[in-house]
Amino acid sequence: MIDRRSRTQRFFEIELPAAILIVIALAPYAWMAITSIKPTADIARFPVVYWPDEPTLIHYADLLARTTFPKNLLDSFIVAVSACALGLGLSVPAAYAFSRFGFFGRRFLMTQFLTINMFPIVLMIIPLFVAMRSLGLLDTVPGVVLGHATFAIPFAIWMLTSYLNGIPKELDEAAMVDGASRVQTIVKILLPLAAPGIVSTGIYIFVASWNEYLFAMMLSGQNVRTVTVALQMFIGEYTIQWGLLTAGGTLVALPVTLLFLFVQRHLIGGLTAGAVKS
Amino acid sequence: MKRRTFLAATTAAIAAPAIVNAQGTTTVRWWYHFDNPQHSPAELIAKFEAANPGIKIQAESIPWGGGNDYYTRLYAALVANNAPDCAMVKLANMSRLLEMRALEPLDQQIGGWADASDISANLWNLHKAPDGKRYYVPLQYVVLYLYYRVDLFQQAGVAAPKTFDEFLKAAQATTKGDVFGFGMRGGAGGHDHWGSFVLGGGATFEKGGMVTPKALEANRWFVALGRDHKVFPPSAPNDGFRQIVDNFKAGRTAMTIHHVGSANEMVDALGDKVSAVPVPRAADGKGWTSFGDESNAIFASSRNKAAAFRWISWLSTNESNVEFNKFTGQLTVSNKGAANWTLHPKRFVDASAQSLAIADTLPNVPATADFLRTVWPTNMQRALLGQIQPDDMMRAIERHYHG
Amino acid sequence: MVSSRLTPYYFLAPAILATAAIVLYPVASTLWMSFHDFVLYRPFDVPFTGLRNYERLLADEAFWISLWNSFVWVGLAVGLQFALGMTAALILNESFAFRSLARALVVVPWALPSVIIGLMFTWVYDYNLGLLNDILLRFGFIKSPVAWLADPDIALYAVIVALVWQGFPFFAVIILAGLQAIPGDLHEAAEIDGATRLQRFRHVVWPGLKGVILTALLLRTIWVANSLDVILVMTGGGPGYATHTLPLYAFLRAYSGMEFGYGSALAVVLTLFLISVAAFYVRRTMREAFR
Repeated sequence: MIDRRSRTQRFFEIELPAAILIVIALAPYAWMAITSIKPTADIARFPVVYWPDEPTLIHYADLLARTTFPKNLLDSFIVAVSACALGLGLSVPAAYAFSRFGFFGRRFLMTQFLTINMFPIVLMIIPLFVAMRSLGLLDTVPGVVLGHATFAIPFAIWMLTSYLNGIPKELDEAAMVDGASRVQTIVKILLPLAAPGIVSTGIYIFVASWNEYLFAMMLSGQNVRTVTVALQMFIGEYTIQWGLLTAGGTLVALPVTLLFLFVQRHLIGGLTAGAVKS
Repeated sequence: MKRRTFLAATTAAIAAPAIVNAQGTTTVRWWYHFDNPQHSPAELIAKFEAANPGIKIQAESIPWGGGNDYYTRLYAALVANNAPDCAMVKLANMSRLLEMRALEPLDQQIGGWADASDISANLWNLHKAPDGKRYYVPLQYVVLYLYYRVDLFQQAGVAAPKTFDEFLKAAQATTKGDVFGFGMRGGAGGHDHWGSFVLGGGATFEKGGMVTPKALEANRWFVALGRDHKVFPPSAPNDGFRQIVDNFKAGRTAMTIHHVGSANEMVDALGDKVSAVPVPRAADGKGWTSFGDESNAIFASSRNKAAAFRWISWLSTNESNVEFNKFTGQLTVSNKGAANWTLHPKRFVDASAQSLAIADTLPNVPATADFLRTVWPTNMQRALLGQIQPDDMMRAIERHYHG
Repeated sequence: MVSSRLTPYYFLAPAILATAAIVLYPVASTLWMSFHDFVLYRPFDVPFTGLRNYERLLADEAFWISLWNSFVWVGLAVGLQFALGMTAALILNESFAFRSLARALVVVPWALPSVIIGLMFTWVYDYNLGLLNDILLRFGFIKSPVAWLADPDIALYAVIVALVWQGFPFFAVIILAGLQAIPGDLHEAAEIDGATRLQRFRHVVWPGLKGVILTALLLRTIWVANSLDVILVMTGGGPGYATHTLPLYAFLRAYSGMEFGYGSALAVVLTLFLISVAAFYVRRTMREAFR
């Protein structure tokens, strides 16, 4: 793209706002990270301690060595990746159907997918618990994954449908006229074009699962325990383990951020560049 | 009685093949919550299992989540017929669990337990159900007392208060600059603070007990501490235990009400500058302080009641109970265990013991849990903010309990 | 391959089956509970009460306050999340030196569990020991500390700020993906034709983004309307009813009062409100999509 703006103009119009944006996004997180390296005595002190005299990694050491946190991170990762795969696997075909076909019950079904998501989840967790118990899925990875994936499906279908609607139908129709099968058309034409949308929907499901607490609390137990539940363990009846909590909170955000950095570099950029040129 | 024998017979019939596996071991599922997840009951369990071959304890740590998560999980598990054999429970939930017919009466087993007499009769009485039976085995407890700053009191020339009037004077004398006289807890759980002055001042949970002239006056006096005398920090309506403890530690308040569970962190932060006395009493000598309980109970659905009782009674026995309290920072229920107590500085254990005389729990009825979580905080906050009159608050509580 | 009339249903079947298996029963039982006096600790005595739970709503002061708070909550939180997210996406779509780092860092708030966000903000807002009061006092913006979460006129907005912070990356990511799908050639053509940036936004960017944005807004409205964990952690609905929203009130009735019947009725009312919002939207977009 041609850019006729001067350097100063660019600085004020792009780089400075971008820097402010990063500060907004990071400030509370940074405060948590700083808290996590304070000795316990400095955490709740008046006046506020901005930077500890003796930064310490003791909370991280305790977190990794004396709690189940590392295993919980792994559990969360397995659950989130599986929920993401399952969620996309179910919602991409559904979104394709909604976007490319006019059929009986289309609007009804689409609305139903939305309606079902409007119920406050909190009231559904006890029936859900009973249902999972009868399916024998309590405290198993598939149980939590199924919970996260199904509750993400409606969102995913809707997002994907609107991305797919943005891709001209004429493209795949032309391909099919040229003799490509439906599956070929989907795999070769539609999916690459919809890739940014699919990736961001995938990230959406991943993050939703990564951060989800209520289902994870109800459906998991000793075998599977996600980080959100593990973090909640640091908030007791009479004390909050601030050191452990902030250390855990600091670590929890890292995988998603790194994932995003990776996706950013290797998927979205390349794929859109390819798609746009076609 | 008949029903129970029938139930016992059927459960025994069903249970026999289920509880004993090939090696002849019984597995007892037990739910617990510890404030610090670095603590694990694994050592205690290993000790118990060594002494009781044939019983395996499967301990499950459940997030406390302000009490909400723990009990949501428990009720859901009971409804789904997936409850553990035994679990840590509190008195506030006893009547609800009884209504669900979820609890197993333990009188018979307690009768056959030699160390039951090591737990004081007072404690057993506090844990009795309204129907006179015993469903809970006490595990640990705390009693709320008044923390005060020795140094700030000296500077202001006041002594630790014994009566409400002295309390007000001390609070006013220590409220200056950055410091507020009393760190009041207005968020959920703060009924403890209110109770000391309003229940201590004559209000009761009997029908009409919240709206007697005396009760209304006591509540007006308490609300006035915040609204007129301004001895509470402005953040009081939303403050929880963490804020009152942190504010006191940071030197922003001169008094607050909490219990021995925070004594060690208070001493770490303030050293000799902090001490404790029982909460002040009304002019007529009446007083009230909150008894914070924790027990174990066995569920009616359990197929391993005998083994479960072995475990929970063992946890409440002398050394093992002392060990257990090292994880939780509370007080042992065992008289022998209390005799040489080293977990907290003596002045705080003494203040707890002296407070036992006026320590009580809230009524053991289903409405109490909701009173704690929503009715009290919402109305107290609105009264402190001047959105409703103090008397409206008392009428709302009366309505909640008596319609 | 000839497509039969059944083809779309094959594509839909897995999603429908999974959803039906997991979600249908809980939704149905919530509906059922709302017509009964269902108190969780009285499982043996659940009388059918018809619409009585709903009648009770109308006379319940807390319901009306919660309803109003919910409107404020959804309107402000979604509106601000969108505004901030859109701005962020437009900035991040430009090319500059640290772009891919910036794109990754912006998702940090979204990568944190709500419980942590709630606690961190409570901590920052703390009256005595909080960062916010300390900074404002140092710079002289305020004379004495502000009780952010204990003042009924401020508390709801203070919580909304936390939610906006948590949610804006969602819009940023979604909109950015939409922006990237707009062919760069179009931009260039428009720029060569002498279009101003505003014109380019209106005629090139907006038409391509509209569908995605409307969907994202709708989905986010539903999500925000239902979200309560941040409020629960920060204020528990207080002081008084100042931060009660409908789902929070339903939650408190259900889990603190154990009145699942009444709580479910509150949940159903919330759902009806959301359905009416969605119906309006669905009618519009469906008409456009059905060519």
